[in-house]
Amino acid sequence: MSAVIDEKSKLVINETSKRYSNTKSQIIIYGIVCALIFIVPSFMDNAYLLNKFSTYLIMGMLAMALSLSWGYGGILNLGQAVSFGLGSYCMAMALKLRTVPIHTGAEGLPDFMVWNNVETLPLIWQPFHSLTLAVFLGIAVPVVFAMLVGWFMFKGRITGVYVAIITLAILVVVNLLIIDQQRITGGFNGITDLAQLEVFGFEFDAYSSSAYYLIAIFLTLSLFLALAITKSKTGKILQAVRDHEDRVRYFGYDVSHFQIFVFAVSAGISGLAGMLYTIVMEFASPTFLGVHLSLSIVIWCAVGGRQSLIGAMLGAIFVVGIQGSLSESETFLETWTLVMGFIFVMVVLFLPKGIAGAFESLAARIRQKN
Amino acid sequence: MNTEQLVLKNVTVNFNGFHALDGLDFSVDKGELRCLIGPNGAGKTTALDIICGKTKVTSGEVDFESKSITSLQEHQIARIGIGRKFQIPSVFQDLTVRENLQVAYSENTSVLSNLFKFGLSKDEEGLNELAEMVNLQEHLDVLAGHLSHGQTQWLEIALLVAQNPKLILMDEPTAGMTRQETHKTAELFLQLKSKHTLVVVEHDMGFVKEIGDVISVMHQGKILAEGTAQEIEQNAAVRDAYLGSGGITNA
Repeated sequence: MSAVIDEKSKLVINETSKRYSNTKSQIIIYGIVCALIFIVPSFMDNAYLLNKFSTYLIMGMLAMALSLSWGYGGILNLGQAVSFGLGSYCMAMALKLRTVPIHTGAEGLPDFMVWNNVETLPLIWQPFHSLTLAVFLGIAVPVVFAMLVGWFMFKGRITGVYVAIITLAILVVVNLLIIDQQRITGGFNGITDLAQLEVFGFEFDAYSSSAYYLIAIFLTLSLFLALAITKSKTGKILQAVRDHEDRVRYFGYDVSHFQIFVFAVSAGISGLAGMLYTIVMEFASPTFLGVHLSLSIVIWCAVGGRQSLIGAMLGAIFVVGIQGSLSESETFLETWTLVMGFIFVMVVLFLPKGIAGAFESLAARIRQKN
Repeated sequence: MNTEQLVLKNVTVNFNGFHALDGLDFSVDKGELRCLIGPNGAGKTTALDIICGKTKVTSGEVDFESKSITSLQEHQIARIGIGRKFQIPSVFQDLTVRENLQVAYSENTSVLSNLFKFGLSKDEEGLNELAEMVNLQEHLDVLAGHLSHGQTQWLEIALLVAQNPKLILMDEPTAGMTRQETHKTAELFLQLKSKHTLVVVEHDMGFVKEIGDVISVMHQGKILAEGTAQEIEQNAAVRDAYLGSGGITNA
């Protein structure tokens, strides 16, 4: 066939128009970042800092999970903290039942239940005698919940800002329910005074490198799982759904299935992050399902670059890290929220695709010059 | 051989009192290349919307290969072999040309089976040749959003070939194309004709004459006339419908 494309249009296309989905170099970068995370404890023997870094990694995991559904699937989930909180409560319930009797109330009941005149362990607590079952539920409950919510939303073809509103409303409802059901959940106080996680006789102390490594391992695993999903054909179809949902239907794909899938995977990773958070914080509280945390995840994602898994993850670590050090330094004690606000405004104005997007266009420009 | 593949029976579409289609009867044979023309607002695009499931009928019946598709959803209609090209070229702007073609190749539509597919599968290697056919072989790694208008049109046509449906619906495929590009599109359509059934909505009479065997003229939601280009041009009713626009050749 003859070439009839006009020369003019050829000129417009340059290196910045291209995307090098070079999977190999991406795997190398992801691997290097994960390796760096793993060597942190060898340079640090401050238990307090290590514990703080562990929480940063968990926030990174949360942002990465949101990047999967928002950046790749186009689903802006403002209720990401629901899955996080459900996971964290599952772990907290299991660890609460493992406390030594002196910390629990009468007849092995958790202390807060005794205070609330509960006489027998509620049925919903029974499965958490088994740690294996608790870990399973910590992922399964958020996944099933997300599938249910997703089924209603995406079968009903709800998109865009309405998804954001519905997920935010669900977050508030679940949060209120947990606060309200004080006899089962500990209400405002949450579930405190937990045992340490012990697997095969090995203890994961929240203020030691063992808990840090545990988190680093699961962060790495979930990061590469998410990367694999985005690289698969399902990942490509998801991005197509994000760009042009209606068009995808006319190729024969049931769009809602893909949306429910990514929504559920994202919830599962968040649930896992929630369980890990309980381990390092040594409690679970309704603030883990708070609007504040849930909206923060969106900001971390936007700062890091929502269309890059590792960008979102590093964005979270970066923002939470700065936030932590600013709020603790004496100079910014009064003004740190202003400084954070300034950073967000700058990113939105000058780096619309986040830090990762800025690196990508820089790389494309360098390539073009050569 | 002449079996009716697509049949629309007495289809009415009512948009808040406005009859976009008003008792439309329309049928196309297998392997045919049918052109659908008509003045603005005649209901051509609505007719395509009805077939591919974008719009639902108010009353009437749509059959494809003797089975009713009237109440099927868009993706179900696509799966039984109907593909659609939109008037405003619709491609996935943030995906590369190669990824666009890969998504369009939709033999398997389930989430899980596509989860374990990385890179191009054996079946999908033909997609590179497809890019060559529409002259985008050098742009496989370019994001579709950076293509020119003509190239985007070409890409969407290639997507339909990748999808490989039995019936292809084309809504103004040559809009915004140069004379040469239009001519090349005509060549391509004549090639497609043997393997697929095509229904083409078009304004460009030169193009219609180049490709069409049978032309259907729509007016006010109904078929006004059907026949060869010559017959249509001499039809008095058609001339009246195009009143004021200087006749069909200038439409």
